[in-house]
Amino acid sequence: MSFEEPHWGSIAVGTPGADFEPRPASSAWYRPDTVADGWATDDLIVRLAAVRGYAHRYEGLPRQDDAAAVHHPVTGSVVFAIADGVSSTPLAHIGATAACRAAVTAVLSGLDDDGRARWPDVVERAAWQVVRQAGLVLGLDSPDPERAERQMATTLITGLVRPCPDGPNVELVRIGDGGAWILHDGGFRTLFEPAATPLVPSEVTALPRVPEVVTRGGVLTAGDVLVVGTDGIAEPLGDGSGSVGAYLAERLAVPRPPLTFAHDVDFSRETFDDDRTLLAIWPRQRSRTDTRG
Amino acid sequence: MTAAPKATLLPVYVLADESQSMGAHLLDLNRGLAELHEALLGQPMAAAKVRFSIIGFADDVRERMRLADLRRTDHLPGLISRGRTNYAEVFADLRHRLHADVGSLKQEGFAVYRPAVFMLTDGQPNDNAWRTPYRELIDRDSTPEAPNIIAFGVGSVRADVILRLATRPEFAFVALAGIDVGSAIARFCTALTHSIIHSVRARGPGAPRLVVQQPDGFEMAIDVV
Repeated sequence: MSFEEPHWGSIAVGTPGADFEPRPASSAWYRPDTVADGWATDDLIVRLAAVRGYAHRYEGLPRQDDAAAVHHPVTGSVVFAIADGVSSTPLAHIGATAACRAAVTAVLSGLDDDGRARWPDVVERAAWQVVRQAGLVLGLDSPDPERAERQMATTLITGLVRPCPDGPNVELVRIGDGGAWILHDGGFRTLFEPAATPLVPSEVTALPRVPEVVTRGGVLTAGDVLVVGTDGIAEPLGDGSGSVGAYLAERLAVPRPPLTFAHDVDFSRETFDDDRTLLAIWPRQRSRTDTRG
Repeated sequence: MTAAPKATLLPVYVLADESQSMGAHLLDLNRGLAELHEALLGQPMAAAKVRFSIIGFADDVRERMRLADLRRTDHLPGLISRGRTNYAEVFADLRHRLHADVGSLKQEGFAVYRPAVFMLTDGQPNDNAWRTPYRELIDRDSTPEAPNIIAFGVGSVRADVILRLATRPEFAFVALAGIDVGSAIARFCTALTHSIIHSVRARGPGAPRLVVQQPDGFEMAIDVV
């Protein structure tokens, strides 16, 4: 029996990319190919996946995206963060993880204090976490923000969805690229203005730098899905009018099991080989036959 | 940005100096281009992203290949020795060419990265008239498609000119032999296309500030290490 045939088994969207067994990631810290998560509160259903891109699988680099999603029981909020480590920085994967955990911790802390998130503070804390993490990893005596920027810069989208009488309220902020959309009836309505550049940008704003932070959001109505993704999703999705939009709209129509969700995110489409992170949140329709306590 | 792109492409241009001062090095360059073709064919993910053009220049500019998908190309066209070296002509041509090429790729439904230009020359232009068209070409305000230029000096090289041609110091190379040129370009090309390197926006007006002090009440969320 031969084991040499390609087995990755991704779903092709349009022309698929190359099919191959990934090379191991050459990182001193173990970092798995995929993170998959999913759970539901009384009001919201959450699915999350961060997937190593085909380029990093081919080159033997680790997944540089990361994500986190947690529940705040008192307010019923789902708090989330997704991050895309800047590939020119060698420890980008650590920056992405540090930024996500710090953002989520800071949002929870604000919700505990007075029931709201102060987004400029959240972003500042995430930035400082990247600086402190770089100091730990490099064994520095004192924090060095410029060195941290060279070692582990990362983008970040962080936010929350809070159940309210008028429907789940979304608030989120972005540093760098990636996007957030409300998916409704197969169409993607973007929460961030698209970049008006003729070329795909190669420079990105990233922590530990912080721009002026602008909060986006809205209220989810029945049939809406909040979709948040790193650039690995935003780039192939574009304005949602093409094959990737149609594919994701179909796969996100209902919440699927987390491993299926992650497999869906790991679609194969030629030239789109960046790490991908996708978070999806559905308002929960409770039926009379729902057996959850 | 393209609405919903079919693919994201990197236009790559080889600008080859075909002037008579390049002499025997053209044979090496031709061999080098063949090696580049081989190397890219062995890197399927890189090859998928590249659209390859070869421009020969001397007194005038001759398009030898335009926006080719190398996976569907049997062999590359050869370079032909002739005339004297006119940089001004090729930089002016390139500025229009990039605008037209990027436009046509976007019309076909592709998203496009900033073009990469590999300029192969002995760095001995006829005159200095090239400086103005060069500056216009690389000025991102007047040329939105302004390329990254990687300059390779071959033959009797004027290194100072090679340095002026490259858009960053680390993009300037002097080749010891034609074979080096081929593998050097191939390595550079695949590195460029494996993952288009993202860099941090740190300079220029409106650059975001670097956080340099600990916020009040900050607690480490995790120790990753």
